[in-house]
Amino acid sequence: MKKRRFLSFLVILCSSFCLLSSGGEPQTLAIRAGKIWTLSDGVITNGVIIIDNGKIQAVGENIDVPEGAKVLDMPDMNVMPGMIDAYCHIGLSVNVQREIDETVAAVAADMQILDAFNPHSDDVKKALRSGVTTIMLAPGYRNPVGGQPAVVKLDTSKADGWVLKRTAGVDFSVMNQALMFDREPTSRAGLMEMLREELDQAKAYKAEEFNPRREVLKRVVDANLPAYIWAHNVDEIASALTIVDTYGLNAVLVAAGQGDEVADMIAKRNLPVIYPPLLLSSRDKDLRRAGKIAGSGVKLAFSSLAPKTDLYDLRTSAILAVKYGLDKETALKSLTINAAEILGVSDRLGSISQGKDADLVVLKGEPLQLTSSIELVMINGNIVYQRQEE
Amino acid sequence: MKDIKGIVVFASLFLQVLSAGALGAEQVAIQGGTILPISGAAIENGIVLIENGKIAAIGRNVAVPMDVRSIDASDKFVMPGLIDVQSRLFVIESEFNEGRSIAPELNILDGLDPFIKEAPEVAAQGVTAVYITPAGRSLIGGSGAVLKLNGSNDVGRMLLKGDIAVKATIGVSANNQSSSLGRLAQYSSIREALLSTKIYMHQREKHAREMAEYNKKRAEYEKKKQVRPTEKVEKPKRPDRFRPNPTREVLAKVLSKEIPLQIEAHRVTDILNAIRLADEFGFTLILDKCTEGYLVADEIARSKADVVLGPVTVSFVETPRLEYRNHDVRNAAILSKRGIKLALGVSGRDGASSKFVALAASIAVANGMDKDLALRAVTLTLAEILGVADRIGSLDVGKDADIVILSGHPLDTLSRVEMVLIEGKTVFERKDKQ
Repeated sequence: MKKRRFLSFLVILCSSFCLLSSGGEPQTLAIRAGKIWTLSDGVITNGVIIIDNGKIQAVGENIDVPEGAKVLDMPDMNVMPGMIDAYCHIGLSVNVQREIDETVAAVAADMQILDAFNPHSDDVKKALRSGVTTIMLAPGYRNPVGGQPAVVKLDTSKADGWVLKRTAGVDFSVMNQALMFDREPTSRAGLMEMLREELDQAKAYKAEEFNPRREVLKRVVDANLPAYIWAHNVDEIASALTIVDTYGLNAVLVAAGQGDEVADMIAKRNLPVIYPPLLLSSRDKDLRRAGKIAGSGVKLAFSSLAPKTDLYDLRTSAILAVKYGLDKETALKSLTINAAEILGVSDRLGSISQGKDADLVVLKGEPLQLTSSIELVMINGNIVYQRQEE
Repeated sequence: MKDIKGIVVFASLFLQVLSAGALGAEQVAIQGGTILPISGAAIENGIVLIENGKIAAIGRNVAVPMDVRSIDASDKFVMPGLIDVQSRLFVIESEFNEGRSIAPELNILDGLDPFIKEAPEVAAQGVTAVYITPAGRSLIGGSGAVLKLNGSNDVGRMLLKGDIAVKATIGVSANNQSSSLGRLAQYSSIREALLSTKIYMHQREKHAREMAEYNKKRAEYEKKKQVRPTEKVEKPKRPDRFRPNPTREVLAKVLSKEIPLQIEAHRVTDILNAIRLADEFGFTLILDKCTEGYLVADEIARSKADVVLGPVTVSFVETPRLEYRNHDVRNAAILSKRGIKLALGVSGRDGASSKFVALAASIAVANGMDKDLALRAVTLTLAEILGVADRIGSLDVGKDADIVILSGHPLDTLSRVEMVLIEGKTVFERKDKQ
């Protein structure tokens, strides 16, 4: 057994050297793995994935490997789609929490978070080691309108191609943390009034006015751009729903830590939820909440909010949610395809199926087993991380 | 409401077992399943026999007396109770200890809230004991203690052992700002305290010598006076009284290796400075947190210091913080591979976080730590480092019957804790069995 493992390690090592050295040359690659968690077609035992030009060309049990293709043989390994962290703040050189948000202007709709992102940050390497291949890079919750989050693939050492969406939507917050004593809004009522005013003005916006802030909010009120709304407690969720109903927004709830208590209201409006990390919620200690929300038919994605928690624990969140009642399949989907759908990138990401990007994570052990180590990570068919024995 | 219910169940269970215990020497036999004694290889289909709260026998061929209380553990895992070596349980939330001072004479036991409602929740995850120390704000903050989660509200009854180690801290920034000189000043303050303790010990010794000499002379004087009462003999002069200093007395115990000095250090320079202090003064060093330990693994291995490592991931603590800037999930794996004696702690932001002991060990395993070593790191190795391995940490004859029964392997996060026993008494039993 040990010997076999060593052999497969050698095979991976040799072939990956070939891959790394092959540079940008388009090439066909075949991965044979013990278990392939496709997230679109169940689990394939002893299956094959054919990758061509960075895209998945075929996946299945009995698939012929094209001639001349490089083969990665990993009979002991599990393969799953690259995980998606639906909300985090990495690569922003943040040392203390307040630096995440620019709190001078309460409405910062035109601020693009990508402008503050360092693609060569160590955070990126850490994320890849954790099996996360795509993130939504987002502003925080201290401004009623926080700015524009971006969806980014983490092969950021490349010159281009890694930004999937520079403007993935607009970040809103109706949380008490968005209130400040030294700038408006200072009350929740004031916050709501401010949001209404902004959105009303955006509604009436004409292109010739040329106001970038209004322009992006206009896309939000037209439901052409999603609104990511921070709301944690039930009262905050109620406020968020009011705004959503008034303007008919295409919205996603962020946090919704107490969302299980109003899950039917969220489900009725078909709003997805980006759930906060389970290890963070020391105040709301009830770890069953995530399972309850999903159980009510709400689509869920997980987030690390890194650096608030370790990005490594994105998967830990899903596993803990399962321990406390979330269905296993939903947990895996929340890490991958559901997150991709919520972020609007499921045409390219989130499952191992034909035509999608070859963003893959190879684990020794099953994905929902916390002790499973992440052995290899691939983006667009290129190996971006490979574990080495210390 | 649910919490209250939990407490009631917990308390009533406790009363129940108390009354059962009062009836006489209770014997309990846990039968079947996979026993993980931690001190040795796994035993399949074994039996653990408990008598008077201690493990009386363990193995495959144990004669079980007729009228024992029998617990069926077939298809289950049986192991010693988990311990959180970096717990905040029972510590009052607003506790910051006495500023940046040298206060080794303080005792954590004086500042606890034993009525805290999270304890049953932690015990329900298989944690039977916690080690708590003063927080990392004082330079030398006082001594820590190991408490059992036996459901008692009486610190005396929970206490397994006090004065485990004196806790010190180098290089933790109070306001999340850092200054190399500031950290150097902290280091030298601790060094100064140890140096003056050395002088103190020297004076204490000198005084003891003088007293001995004085007593001898005094005896001779009394004798002479008795034999020849008329002769004029000079009365020996009593040396000045020696005033014991409580601060120095505690640190003297550290310097004479009666109590280890547990130094919280995160960064490379601070870790190296802690080792330097141990080299200079020759005390027993326990390195606490050791965040950047992986960068100086060789130096730590050479120092022979034990390490109490945590958090395994920064998710457990308030971040971002400067101390954790170079945190790496592989730290535990790298250090344990150098043969460093290592305990893993949760180091959580609150008391309830102690329930994540097994989770922390699992994350260490996923990042390269050996499975057996990781389990030892939250049980036996930990107990050895704290000097309580005679009582807890493994399933061996003569040790306390602090036992966890799980539905699966302890490092499988989806395993459920079925039952927790402390000194043979059931403190938790899972109700919603499917």
